Amino acid sequence: MSGPVNDPPPGPPAPRQLLAAATVACGADVDLLLEQVADGHGGDRDAHQEQCVHCQAALIEFSVLWDPVTELAAAPVSPPPGLVAAVMTQIRSLVRDVWYTLEITRIGTIRIAARIVAALARDSARMIPGVRVALGRSTQGPIAALAEKATFGHHHPHAAVGVLGRTAVVDLAVAVTYEDPVHEVARDIQRLVTATLRDQIGLRSVTVNVTVDDILGDDEQ
Amino acid sequence: MKAAEVAEPAVGDAYLVARAQEGYIDAYELLVQRHSAMAYRVALRLTGNHHDAQDVAQEALIAAWENLTRFRAGSSFSTWLYQIVTRRALNKVSRGQAASSLELLPDVADTAAEPAVQAERDLTADAVTDALLALPFPQRVVIVLHHFERLSYSEVAAVTGSTEPAVRSHLFRARRALGKTLEEWR
Repeated sequence: MSGPVNDPPPGPPAPRQLLAAATVACGADVDLLLEQVADGHGGDRDAHQEQCVHCQAALIEFSVLWDPVTELAAAPVSPPPGLVAAVMTQIRSLVRDVWYTLEITRIGTIRIAARIVAALARDSARMIPGVRVALGRSTQGPIAALAEKATFGHHHPHAAVGVLGRTAVVDLAVAVTYEDPVHEVARDIQRLVTATLRDQIGLRSVTVNVTVDDILGDDEQ
Repeated sequence: MKAAEVAEPAVGDAYLVARAQEGYIDAYELLVQRHSAMAYRVALRLTGNHHDAQDVAQEALIAAWENLTRFRAGSSFSTWLYQIVTRRALNKVSRGQAASSLELLPDVADTAAEPAVQAERDLTADAVTDALLALPFPQRVVIVLHHFERLSYSEVAAVTGSTEPAVRSHLFRARRALGKTLEEWR
């Protein structure tokens, strides 16, 4: 850094003049001074800046200039309430294997989307102590394929769907805590999920595949 | 059955991405819940209005799902999503649909402020928004990512497919341009 640092300038330079120049009177780089302010370090002056009226004036001017940017950057922005739902609705419509349970009763048929089966299974699994994360998916599986073949239909008239009949294969990926015996947690999941799907969806045969793929410590909970 | 009380899962994005790639849609739903605010926020700052921002955020989150198989393990999901959002925003802006900055005002409003003070704040926010939207898109992107999203130079470089020196150079020019516009407004 060169040039006088203590000679008082005739008046603080206007930001417009500063922004049109490469350096201030002492030789300090305008871009670096503006960067310092914009990054929130306008008050952290180095040894030169502590002594230099030119740098001090520029830092003050830039701080005033940049404050509105900082305020806008800090202003909270809330996403539209329906954004997540809108995204997930579209994604589910993109997923082709939209399977349904199918129960034929005397007065008609009952269909329940496989994703509902998966969601119920997931939520049941999350009720087991020791389960931190549970993700569910419903797959067709060989038994369901046989059930489908045995029933009358393959496809819903308006969508590419199949049927699971009253048989479901549910895959669950879970993360558990260190404290609980993993195999016991997994068996509890199987028992509860099976009972829930039988009671709430009327499934006759339920296969629950549990994959424990992460163990979380206390600090991660 | 009522779901158990489930807090935000204490697993990282990498875990959820891996499960989503295996077909667990609810893993992706958790990623959407986690990152939709960021996608919308960035889109709003880049496009300048809520309607376009919602479109961009929605398109980006769906595009991320559609391309999830291309996502490389070990990469940062948020960096990848920032890339998709900025590209989609560029497409939107390039189609000449950047709109009035007035629509940003509700976001920066402080309802507790006195009306006169609030009006002044609104005008200031509006001026900054206008100045931001007047920047060339690449400069707008680096300002939004670095100064609004607080990404480091290296993170901005990763999002923009650039280098740290190039990002810094863009930022130098962008800050000067923004400063000149704001100075004229004062």
